Amino acid sequence: MSDPVPLTTDNPGQVASVPPPAPGRSRRLTDRGLAVGFISPALLLLLAMSVFPLLWALYLSFTDYSATRGGPANFIGFGNYTAILTSAQVHQRALTTLIYVIGAVGLQTVLGFGIAYLISRRTHGRGVLTTLFLVPMMLSPVVVGLFWRFMLDAQFGVINSMLGSLGLGQVEWLTRQRTALISLVVVDTWQWTPFIMLIALAGLTAVPKYLYEAASIDRASEWFRFRTITLPLVWPLLLIAVMFRAIEAFRLFDLVYILTNGGPGVSTETLSFHVYKVAFLGFNTGTASAYGILMVLVVIVLTQLYLRYLNKLKED
Amino acid sequence: MRNPKRIGIMSVPGRKARLAAAALLLVATTVTACGDGKDDGEKASAPKAPATIPELTKDPLTLSFIWFDWPPAKALEAFANAEYKKERPNTTIKVNTVPNANWHDAMFTQFAAHKTDFDIAILDSQHIGEAVTNGNILDLTDFVKQNIDVAAYNPYLLAAYGQFPQAETGKRDENASLYGLPLLGDTWTMIYRKDLIGDKPPQTWDQMISVAEKCQAENPGVSGLAFHQANGSDAAAVTYNTVNGVYGGNLWDAKARKINGVLNDAAGQEAMDVLVNKMKPLTAKGSGNWFIDEVNAAVAQGKACIAFNWIAASGGLLDPKQSTLGTTREQILDKLGFATLPSQKTNLVPLGGMGMHVSAYSSAANQAEALNFMKWFEQADVQKKWAAAGGVPSRTDALQSPEFLNAGPFNQVYTDSVPRMRDMWNVPEYARLVDIENTNVNAALNGAKKPKDALDDIAKEQQGVLDSSGRKGGGGL
Repeated sequence: MSDPVPLTTDNPGQVASVPPPAPGRSRRLTDRGLAVGFISPALLLLLAMSVFPLLWALYLSFTDYSATRGGPANFIGFGNYTAILTSAQVHQRALTTLIYVIGAVGLQTVLGFGIAYLISRRTHGRGVLTTLFLVPMMLSPVVVGLFWRFMLDAQFGVINSMLGSLGLGQVEWLTRQRTALISLVVVDTWQWTPFIMLIALAGLTAVPKYLYEAASIDRASEWFRFRTITLPLVWPLLLIAVMFRAIEAFRLFDLVYILTNGGPGVSTETLSFHVYKVAFLGFNTGTASAYGILMVLVVIVLTQLYLRYLNKLKED
Repeated sequence: MRNPKRIGIMSVPGRKARLAAAALLLVATTVTACGDGKDDGEKASAPKAPATIPELTKDPLTLSFIWFDWPPAKALEAFANAEYKKERPNTTIKVNTVPNANWHDAMFTQFAAHKTDFDIAILDSQHIGEAVTNGNILDLTDFVKQNIDVAAYNPYLLAAYGQFPQAETGKRDENASLYGLPLLGDTWTMIYRKDLIGDKPPQTWDQMISVAEKCQAENPGVSGLAFHQANGSDAAAVTYNTVNGVYGGNLWDAKARKINGVLNDAAGQEAMDVLVNKMKPLTAKGSGNWFIDEVNAAVAQGKACIAFNWIAASGGLLDPKQSTLGTTREQILDKLGFATLPSQKTNLVPLGGMGMHVSAYSSAANQAEALNFMKWFEQADVQKKWAAAGGVPSRTDALQSPEFLNAGPFNQVYTDSVPRMRDMWNVPEYARLVDIENTNVNAALNGAKKPKDALDDIAKEQQGVLDSSGRKGGGGL
């Protein structure tokens, strides 16, 4: 009997030989050339649509350029960056954004995981329920904002009408400082809880059944099983969902634009909404570019810290 | 596992060459995208339109406008296609509309790109400074001298919709350049419920407030007042500026470019106090984000004793399909009255409306057609037809014509208001100034700021915008 052929190798590069070109293929067209040929359209698109605008914004962020005023872009060093970082207006918007992100993502995580946990325990109608819960996520945020704006209207909105029928007073959902931000959190939660639910459901489904069976044999309580089996196994996946949602929430613009327009006053203006105003009301392109770059940096740094924590969790 | 040996890896010099090629490509893209920079520098001011209209094309042509979505935009398209086509059958008029909140952005982002999908921009009077300074619209001074009968207009209307730098309130500087011509005049009208407060409208602002207070107390479910309070567009800002004017305040000292200390002087403070502490309590709960449509809805549903709105947006109030006040126009008019604004220390009213301005980036053929349209539109008989079609003309003869005065119950209000008008600033920094005012007045109206703090913040922040031209970095924050 001949020696068995090794299925794997530690050094495939040395063992594998380069397959000969297909018949009819030009000898000058190497595998590498073919690969470059195939990926270059996508790469060029990426360069034109993402890399170039980013580099261009980075360049503008060090200038006083205005898209409408014309004239040369004068280099002003870190002037835009220091102005943004020391601006009380920006600090106020950062705080609003932070409160919003913590409120919305926190609520979505609790609700999303709760719903996923309940659905995962059902054996019948699970697919239908999951699909129904996903509907809000499929709608455009502008559409969601518009119909919630009508629903939350203090005079003729359905929410106040329901409160009225319960004998409760009218609430000015969108025109009072506290309720306006709460309304934004509620609407975002309504739309994006299904996202967390979906990922949590995937995690819950992947938990091996034998762990629960072993726990049952040991007569472990429901709470003990949840705390020691379910949560630790789903936690890393849930954290990834939280990260995605936090990044999304950090750059919230559409719901604010439709629901409150940043009001009352500027109390629901998020960082993204403020960048929009800087960029398009006064057309201060240089400042807006620096503002955008800073926001990207914040997201990158926080994501990196988060990913490190996630990796550490995985290693543990 | 050890690192596998990579197959077909590039040699170092080859890799460097490809990286260099990629970098060159990026630089080339950047240079192409940015141009050589000369173009921007050379177009620092508005280019001039010819004094005489160039030869017009005989080919089919679409003359495009840009405006925001409201009834006058539809009326203009229908009117222009019906009437202008009689003179220029090869021309089709298209009025592109955007939501009111996007109106400024939609025009100025296209101006920024130096390419517009419109030939005539319908600018708010306050946008003129920004468009002129950036060279976005044509200088019509010579064209107007040659083609327009300027004596036919109230000088301030001609100035408000076309002149830059801005004229003193009520006047026109004949030596200043003109960049636009009136399209639609407008001001606020007071809409009052004749069946609730009587046929005679209140004459003073204080009287108006007490009448509204009494009406609200006597009619549960009906609020005393309805007016613009939203923080978008110029909603809350126009409301404060109106009260400011009526109580003798000033928005700024234009010559000294001074706002702080002028806007928030004693008269300004009194106006803010009246608005927040006397008028706001008479409005419906949750009306802190109301603008044109919401005020109209409140009136049409019989939910307000007295309301303030732009005349050009009031036509829908007489439509029985949209109203609960009557099943016919006559029944509605039995209940609704329209009057000029009450006076107090002064009789000033806000100047609304918009002018027509020719895009500097439109093709030569379309610019010629645009000039021809403007010349046609400003003729006496066309202005009267425009009035009959639901528009608000600016020529004095049209304003006093039966075609206009009989076209709507609020048209007499406009004619009477013309000598009382006051505009905001039309400086290039307008968009930021109005945003500061809108957000702060909205904050005061909704309890997010004390009235005095809000007014002081407006004055301080607006002054900062006017003074910030030499600042290095952070402009726009």
